[in-house]
Amino acid sequence: MKELDLLKKDWQKNDAYNQVSEMEIYTMLHRQSSSIVKWILIVSILEILLWTTISLFFNTDDYFKKTKFEELSINIQALNIFNYGVILIFIYLFYKNYKTISTTVSTKQLMKDILKTRKTVQYYVWYNLGIVVLSLLLGFYIAFAYNPEVSFLKEKIANDGKVLALTIGVLILTVGVFLGVFWLFYRLLYGILLRRLYANYKELKKIDL
Amino acid sequence: MKNMSLEQSFVQQLKTNQNIIHKICRLYTNGEDAHKDLFQEITIQLWKAFPKFRGDSKFSTWAYRVALNTAITLYRKSTRTVKTVDYENHQYFISNEEYNYEEEEQLKLLYRAVYQLNDIEKALVFMYLEDKDYREISETLGISEVNARVKMNRIKGKLKKILNP
Repeated sequence: MKELDLLKKDWQKNDAYNQVSEMEIYTMLHRQSSSIVKWILIVSILEILLWTTISLFFNTDDYFKKTKFEELSINIQALNIFNYGVILIFIYLFYKNYKTISTTVSTKQLMKDILKTRKTVQYYVWYNLGIVVLSLLLGFYIAFAYNPEVSFLKEKIANDGKVLALTIGVLILTVGVFLGVFWLFYRLLYGILLRRLYANYKELKKIDL
Repeated sequence: MKNMSLEQSFVQQLKTNQNIIHKICRLYTNGEDAHKDLFQEITIQLWKAFPKFRGDSKFSTWAYRVALNTAITLYRKSTRTVKTVDYENHQYFISNEEYNYEEEEQLKLLYRAVYQLNDIEKALVFMYLEDKDYREISETLGISEVNARVKMNRIKGKLKKILNP
């Protein structure tokens, strides 16, 4: 085919492409890690939005009114604000990790950054699980100390050791189930990203040997 | 080479052979941004595959295979939204001394026609333009030599049809 030969001639004559520098190639290779870290940042922000939306739908004020707990609700609010503060700090740390990783050039530094990011995410998950347990315990305490609907149970517990054991059993089971569900949630949410980040780390390690 | 890390040796070889990737990008993309995106994607895929590259073939031969596979896969994934190609923006080159208006027009039409081919066909045309024989084409694309010949003939027919509708 005559036309194809013409094309071939032109094709081979012209190979003046904008050349990519070594530095640019290094950056391309490292961008993979930075995109995972970017996703960690995005997911953490989406997560905080999710919890905030859920808490908007569950209005606890009525419950506190019923339980005559209003005087203590200011403490709950303080705890809530503290919790948001800590989460915002974590999000800031995620952002910082993302920034450092996307600008890192040396392999050694990148490996360090990846390990640091992993640690940050792990602390974040542990903190959240801790908050879950704490709020459950607080919830039980409020229910037993202030909710009039539970007072009949209190009497029973006082009279019967079996009921006491059963109640404690149920409470422990509830904490366990909640902890399990949240653990699974975080494992799914961040576990996949962390695993991919770690795979990237292992490849970098291979190179560094 | 021995004191060099795997990464350094990869980056250097890629730098020397980067025109392979540029050329593939030229056939598979239109516009500078898409060109850069595909270049980066191919670089990452080459890098991922690099530990398996043992050096029993030339870097360039190996790069042809991985790069074309990446382009083909990416091209499949993206829904082909680009029906009308803005070929004026595309970089192609006519050397000044042999400036020939008729030839330039014809080349423009030819590049446009090639762009309309599908992913595999482009890969074949690319190898053809790179002046590879059918043995190398069949090895790189993982098809038999006979199949490569048959496909190439069909492509020629298809191009003719596009050029003279």
